[in-house]
Amino acid sequence: MTEQINDQISAFIDDELPDEESAFLLRRFERDPDARGRALRYTVIGAALRNELLGPEPAILRRRIAVALTGAPPLPAQRVPAPWHSRYLRPLVGVGIAASVAFGAIIGLRALTDARLGTVAPAGTLSAAPLQTRAVDAPPSYVVPQEVVDAPAVTPAVRLTNYVVHHSEYASRLSRTFVRSNVVGAAEIVPAAEPPPPQPPPQFRQGTTPE
Amino acid sequence: MARSLLGRPLVFMTLALSVDASADEARQWLDKMNRAVEELNYQGTFVHVLEGTVETLRITHRNEGGRSAERIESLDGVGREIIRQDNQVQCILPDRRVVLLEARKDLNPLVSSLPSYSDELEPHYALKLRSTTRVANRAAQILEIKPRDDFRYGYMLWLDQATAMPLRSQLIDDKGAIVEQISFTAIELRAEIPPEAIAPTIDTTGFTMLRPPESSTLTAELSWRASTLPGGFKLSGATQSPIAGSEYPVEHLVYSDGLATVSVFIEDPHTKSEVTEGFSKMGSTNAYSLTLRGRKVTAVGEVPRQTVRTIASSLVTE
Repeated sequence: MTEQINDQISAFIDDELPDEESAFLLRRFERDPDARGRALRYTVIGAALRNELLGPEPAILRRRIAVALTGAPPLPAQRVPAPWHSRYLRPLVGVGIAASVAFGAIIGLRALTDARLGTVAPAGTLSAAPLQTRAVDAPPSYVVPQEVVDAPAVTPAVRLTNYVVHHSEYASRLSRTFVRSNVVGAAEIVPAAEPPPPQPPPQFRQGTTPE
Repeated sequence: MARSLLGRPLVFMTLALSVDASADEARQWLDKMNRAVEELNYQGTFVHVLEGTVETLRITHRNEGGRSAERIESLDGVGREIIRQDNQVQCILPDRRVVLLEARKDLNPLVSSLPSYSDELEPHYALKLRSTTRVANRAAQILEIKPRDDFRYGYMLWLDQATAMPLRSQLIDDKGAIVEQISFTAIELRAEIPPEAIAPTIDTTGFTMLRPPESSTLTAELSWRASTLPGGFKLSGATQSPIAGSEYPVEHLVYSDGLATVSVFIEDPHTKSEVTEGFSKMGSTNAYSLTLRGRKVTAVGEVPRQTVRTIASSLVTE
């Protein structure tokens, strides 16, 4: 992604990009997964800074997110303490920037989403009018497949993906979204290392026979 | 003295009753959540945090006249999609140029009745209502589901106070660490979602379509059962399922404790199996494969690894 596009995204988020260029950028978001991913990741950063992603280990999770987003190595555990004013002001500035970025990304995302939904989107959720017009005019990206091939030979990952998809139909509603997110989100099924030998289970029962 | 002795049982009884009331209320929240995720119309963007990676996904869920349809799509990377509509499940894998097509199972009464948040959960999970907070700009009730052994994961749920929709869900391991997290950054509940909102967005022209065979039977029919199960797991169903891309169906056993589910797939001996033996995983979904009596057996579930291995390894024929 070029410096120019980065600048445009920043300006767009700050609402300083002219309408014409905004429309160009939004079109780019639709066809350029990198640009879209970048804008969406800002949402994650914003959410993380708003403490929405954080569990009992906020520092660890925040570092993981940073590593996931930037590809940079994890920060060392020990850091040189910053001056008190820097220590207190920096997070506030960071939260402010991230919040504005996340807000922009969410607005953009919502606009794209709502455009796909067409007239159902409540008008109040769209802040960029040109976007709605353009997206509605855009041709549908889905093309009905013309050629259907039944291929019995599958790769192991596909077979296991198939098992997981099959299994997700039987998962409880509580865990179904987790299982399906794993299917959609996982790039590959990875072989896992052997765990330590199992301890004797605390409570076992004999398998039941179906009625 | 006599007064304090008399008072103690009352205090204990009051405490016990309040604990029961809290567990009952927690179960009611679970039931409400169960209905909400299926019956409401919603669209939202959520982040999926797993093992240091963060992905953005979008879910669109539609319910009309009790028939639900859903699409979950990844907004990052290759952009996989899983679509459940009408009688079909489509999983589009653009990175492999493959579409997996499956018949929907949740229309089967057996499956739709699977999660029963009844008293049977009590010996295996402790349910507790925690504080209230805000997620995705909505008021949320926190609900903790803590397993009583190492054979299942726990959950921490942030449920929308108005609808019980899970706004944030965490899968927790036996050490209290977060295994996986889903958190909505934006969610819209709508009166209606049009059917076209569920349509695939990926052009699958030229992709390989893997469909289950229309009719096929097992060449060797054996009745398999797990001889050893972690407490609370029961056999919920045993079927022969056609599997996309395979000439022969697999035997499919489903074990559930009411919250966690483990599927066991037993391949036909004539199937040229390509599943690697040992552990595999897809996100937090664990799988364990081995060969028993010449048949490839794979257990899959959103449970710790020892659970899939325990169940798969204990399979016997009746």
